[in-house]
Amino acid sequence: MNDSRWKSWLPRTGCLLGLVVVFWWAPPFHIVELNGVQQAHPAFDAVAFVDKFWFGRLAQSLDRATDAVVLEKAIRTDSKAAREKYGRVAGLGGDYYFFVAGEGRVVSVNQHEIALSLDADSSSTDVILETGNIFGNAVRDGTRLLNVSDFADSQDFNAISSEINRRIEEQVLPNLRAKAVVGAIVHFAGCAEVADEGTDLHPLLVVPVSAVVR
Amino acid sequence: MTAFHRLRNYGTLALMVCMLLTGCKPKNEAAGSTAKATSADGGPPKIAIIVSTLNNPWFVVLANTARDRAKELGYDATVFDSQNDPAKEATNFENTLASGYKVILLNPTDAQGSIANVRKAKAAGVPVFCIDREIDATDAATSQILSDNYSGCVALGQYFVKQIGEQGTYVELLGIVGDNNTWNRSKGFHSVVDRYPGLKMVAQQSADFDRAKALEVLEPILQAHPDINAVFCGNDAMAMGAYQALLAAGKADTIKVFGFDGADDVVKLIAEGKITATGMQFPKLMARTAAEDADKYIKGERNFPQKAPVGVELVTRDNVTKFGDYGRKADTQ
Repeated sequence: MNDSRWKSWLPRTGCLLGLVVVFWWAPPFHIVELNGVQQAHPAFDAVAFVDKFWFGRLAQSLDRATDAVVLEKAIRTDSKAAREKYGRVAGLGGDYYFFVAGEGRVVSVNQHEIALSLDADSSSTDVILETGNIFGNAVRDGTRLLNVSDFADSQDFNAISSEINRRIEEQVLPNLRAKAVVGAIVHFAGCAEVADEGTDLHPLLVVPVSAVVR
Repeated sequence: MTAFHRLRNYGTLALMVCMLLTGCKPKNEAAGSTAKATSADGGPPKIAIIVSTLNNPWFVVLANTARDRAKELGYDATVFDSQNDPAKEATNFENTLASGYKVILLNPTDAQGSIANVRKAKAAGVPVFCIDREIDATDAATSQILSDNYSGCVALGQYFVKQIGEQGTYVELLGIVGDNNTWNRSKGFHSVVDRYPGLKMVAQQSADFDRAKALEVLEPILQAHPDINAVFCGNDAMAMGAYQALLAAGKADTIKVFGFDGADDVVKLIAEGKITATGMQFPKLMARTAAEDADKYIKGERNFPQKAPVGVELVTRDNVTKFGDYGRKADTQ
């Protein structure tokens, strides 16, 4: 290699080495696995939290749920007034919830629902207990027992919903589905989530947290 | 090397240095804001609106609505753009704290990374109200007005199953991985869709809530998986990018796109049957509430909920006529 060629390559090589050092010291980007990002999130034990909640505050609050007959009558009379008196709005606008308990006679059963009449002499459906996959935040937000402001990371609050729903599917629904035949009496407590002001609340769709069949 | 070549090389180098320096300069004031960072003594109290990015029409609506409502209430309001960069957000905080702003309305860049900025403001006696995106702390901001992303995506997930059925394949485009909204949306959606084993996610990639990145990310995925049934996007900007990629691939009629935000262009495409659904987040409602809370704070109110979730509504072709202008038409939320 002659002298002039060597001189022309030297600064280029120097620049290249310089860039390598700079990028090693301060890389312009990092490749991070998506799963890694989620794992880096401090672990919140939703199972343990819900375990304590389920057998503690939730179990103790079932007798404070609105009586289903009273709520049904209030909704028939004036659904807006019923919402204001018995409903819970979790934030600004959007969904609202009822926490309700009562006793009804099974009038029909299908794959995902059990229909109840609250009136012993009627075959009309007043309440539908959901018995399929449980989604959403009906129980977490409907009982008035949990508040998002107590959770620094809303992902933890949402994990509670998933765990409550899983627990309902595993611990409440199998027995209910097995025993609730037409004519059986079901004593239930649960929550209803109403997504839209215009939703027909008769019958009321309830996610059961407790159901005893006799 | 000739003198000309040397001169050209030095010129190029100088130009590059200038470009770098210009790029590094913080961009503090957004187009359209009318108040200056410093106002004359005795002028109206100043409110800063520090927004994660103005490179997305949804956030422009959020920022401008907060600014306009603050002005209606008699304040000198200025919008600052953090360009999705926590470092720029920190600079915006330093500037606002040094310039006598009374309240900061913040749309954070990072749930963890923005906490220090909020704490700095709190230590300086300046309350911070977060809008739309949260910070992972309950003792720093005065209040956080946040979309209920999880619930919104549970509803989207249920509609997704209705539209696609219980068998099919899909792609998910995630937002910024450091933002809680990204994961709340993804987890809400998966809390439903994962219950159907016949629905398989063939790819999940981040496109940073960005339209151009969504287009860039989806194109190679479509080459590898040309027979997918749907694309679920963590926001509407990415839904627009995904739709563009599908148009280019000639698959816009067969692959369904789902977004989240309620951006006007997506709402229009839902009405035309080109995008399947989105979740309306009500940015105007959140922004106005934040500005009104700031006003209440300045007037002495101190009792604010740490987190105020704002409901998200599912927008589909069946109910799209009720929505427009970043909210419901009837009440112009």
